[in-house]
Amino acid sequence: MKIVREALAGTLESSDLMVRITPRDGELAIVLQSEVMHQFGARIEAVARECLAKLGITEALVVIEDKGALDCVVAARVQTAVSRAVDEWTADWSALS
Amino acid sequence: MRLRRSMLFLPGANAAMLSTAFVFKPDTIMFDLEDAVSLREKDAARMLVFHALQMPVYGDMETAVRINPLSTPFGLKDLEAVVRAGVDVVRLPKTDTADDVRALEAEVERIERDCGREVGSTKLMAAIESASGVVNAVAIATSSKRLVGIALAGFDYVMDMQTERGDGSELFYARCAVLHAARFAKIDAFDVVFSDVNDDAGFLKEVDLIRRLGFNGKSLINPRQIDLLHNAFAPTQEEVDYSRRVVAAAEQGEKQGLGVVSLNGKMIDAPVIEHARVVLRRAEASGVRQ
Amino acid sequence: MTDDLLSYTIDPALQPDEREDIRTFLAKCGLDYEIGVEAFVVFRRKRHLVACAGLEKNIVKCTAIDPEMRGEALGLRLLTELIHLAQDRGHSHLFLYTKPDCVEFFRSCGFYLLAEVPGLVALMENTPIGVKAYCDRLKRLRRPGAVIGAVVMNANPFTRGHRYLVERAAAACDWLHVFVVAEDVSLISYRDRYALVSSGIADIPRVTLHHGSEYMVSRATFSAYFFKEKGIVGDCCTAIDLLIFRDHIAPALGITHRFVGTEPFCPTTFKYNADMRHWLRGDVSPSPAVEVVEIDRTECEDVPISASEVRRLLAADDFARIRRLVPATTLELLETKYRAPRSSAA
Repeated sequence: MKIVREALAGTLESSDLMVRITPRDGELAIVLQSEVMHQFGARIEAVARECLAKLGITEALVVIEDKGALDCVVAARVQTAVSRAVDEWTADWSALS
Repeated sequence: MRLRRSMLFLPGANAAMLSTAFVFKPDTIMFDLEDAVSLREKDAARMLVFHALQMPVYGDMETAVRINPLSTPFGLKDLEAVVRAGVDVVRLPKTDTADDVRALEAEVERIERDCGREVGSTKLMAAIESASGVVNAVAIATSSKRLVGIALAGFDYVMDMQTERGDGSELFYARCAVLHAARFAKIDAFDVVFSDVNDDAGFLKEVDLIRRLGFNGKSLINPRQIDLLHNAFAPTQEEVDYSRRVVAAAEQGEKQGLGVVSLNGKMIDAPVIEHARVVLRRAEASGVRQ
Repeated sequence: MTDDLLSYTIDPALQPDEREDIRTFLAKCGLDYEIGVEAFVVFRRKRHLVACAGLEKNIVKCTAIDPEMRGEALGLRLLTELIHLAQDRGHSHLFLYTKPDCVEFFRSCGFYLLAEVPGLVALMENTPIGVKAYCDRLKRLRRPGAVIGAVVMNANPFTRGHRYLVERAAAACDWLHVFVVAEDVSLISYRDRYALVSSGIADIPRVTLHHGSEYMVSRATFSAYFFKEKGIVGDCCTAIDLLIFRDHIAPALGITHRFVGTEPFCPTTFKYNADMRHWLRGDVSPSPAVEVVEIDRTECEDVPISASEVRRLLAADDFARIRRLVPATTLELLETKYRAPRSSAA
């Protein structure tokens, strides 16, 4: 799927994260800020990258403001942002687990 | 036999609550995709709940999801997500007729086949929120083998009845009707939410009433209410002692192949034995009433 | 698990009752109601307003939380709602002015500091890569040299005075960077202003023309400039714009000097020029100082040429005099596109 518009998902509240995804040509860039950057920064980015890969997103700018979210919340927010940023959401549920 | 005393509602869009609700140990965790979620966040909540259902944290707790009505653009999408995510029970809101349940059941079965889930493993619960639902309660309660219970939802119901929540007399008929339908169909019956989370005395009074009427449990919106409810549903030591004797007698009778069970020279009927088992389950879950 | 907070969005122009409630609430919190706000997010507990935040295009304004409910949770919800509202209204890049002691709170809401006047005011944006990405792009346009100059002009419209300023500045530098203010709220559209500057200075060597940005004399960095007719020029409103220039833009391009025309007419621009020395050269920032060079305006019949004078003449339809103040390209554009409608009697 292709990111065709900017989209936002999530909140700034504790245990959540806000994800902003923007169209970008030629690269997949993830900019992560987290309250738990030190312990979990790499982990959060890995979860986000895996989600994007499963959805076939190879070009986008993804800015994440994390508030200590669990992996599954990270996945849910990234997927929601993508679903709002594409023209046609064709993901199979099995690609989202 | 599963206890369903406490059904804790969680707004499906709230990541923090979804992440931590299991620590409160309600009998059933009810993820809400309907009234607690704004239109803007319907998709986000569905995705969160899809993931939350797959967390390996629930143990003995039952997971349930209140989906949006199938007549909305969200209902079927909700169902696709939660059945695939392995939810134990789907709660259908605004159930007016038995056909509403049957329509849901057909979709659930289709999705189960699509995703390879065992057909019939997704249970259903119907929420009755209108005069039509109350009048059709028996038909609704007997409409599907998947139904594990029916619930009265007070907010919409009192509006449909052109009245408002008060001391409970406004729900008198609906409670009795829903309860009888559930007992007739041999499924569970659940009472309405008590919305003033700061009024413990009022809450306990209502819990006492619905327990005596015979409800299995109640919808809750605050985790604080869980222990209060479980304690109120816990049997007294006397009840436990008596129930132990009943169950022991029943087991003995069974072992001896007797068709009739007796205790202290009196015959004990099946419903008495069944009730004694419920009492012991409640005691096992929360001890005796404090 | 729910709470008793209700949140919703209001349009202050259409909902006067809500607007007055917000005005009262802001006053209670020691804040003014700003008339430019186009939409508010409000939170109510029972019937009481407990938090609000407003948007004027992409600028966050009138953010307040009931003192009794201050604690991070409500603030984070308020800003979440506001950011989603802005997104729905087509604004993803947001700016926010606040007091320096609130910077930490807004940092937790995903806002990043752009510039701060200690004790007075701070400007923040809602992305960690906003000004940084902009400066990274500028860095690719760096030119070698010991004296690197910059001119920032609105050119509303481009006059012989602007041409003279660029000529003189370019002659004094190894390289000159010219920026055209990008905010599209002036009489002459940004597109037209940029085109006029581009053709007007094309023959001057060692000059790079840049598009302006939100980080330079924009509604966000310097809102007073665009409302100068109202005569509202706060003490620190120029400081933020100049500090962003000094801390971010000048280091990206290696700018050592900033050139400005002397300002005899417009009080806002006059103050801006005076403040420039303080904020670009003074001991107010860890970034290297930028020298400020004021160049006397070129004059026409003893009157300095200025764009505001051209606009005045345009309103009076006095093209005979405009002709003497602007180059041919500007004259042609003004005649064909911006001429005031004449009355039928004339």
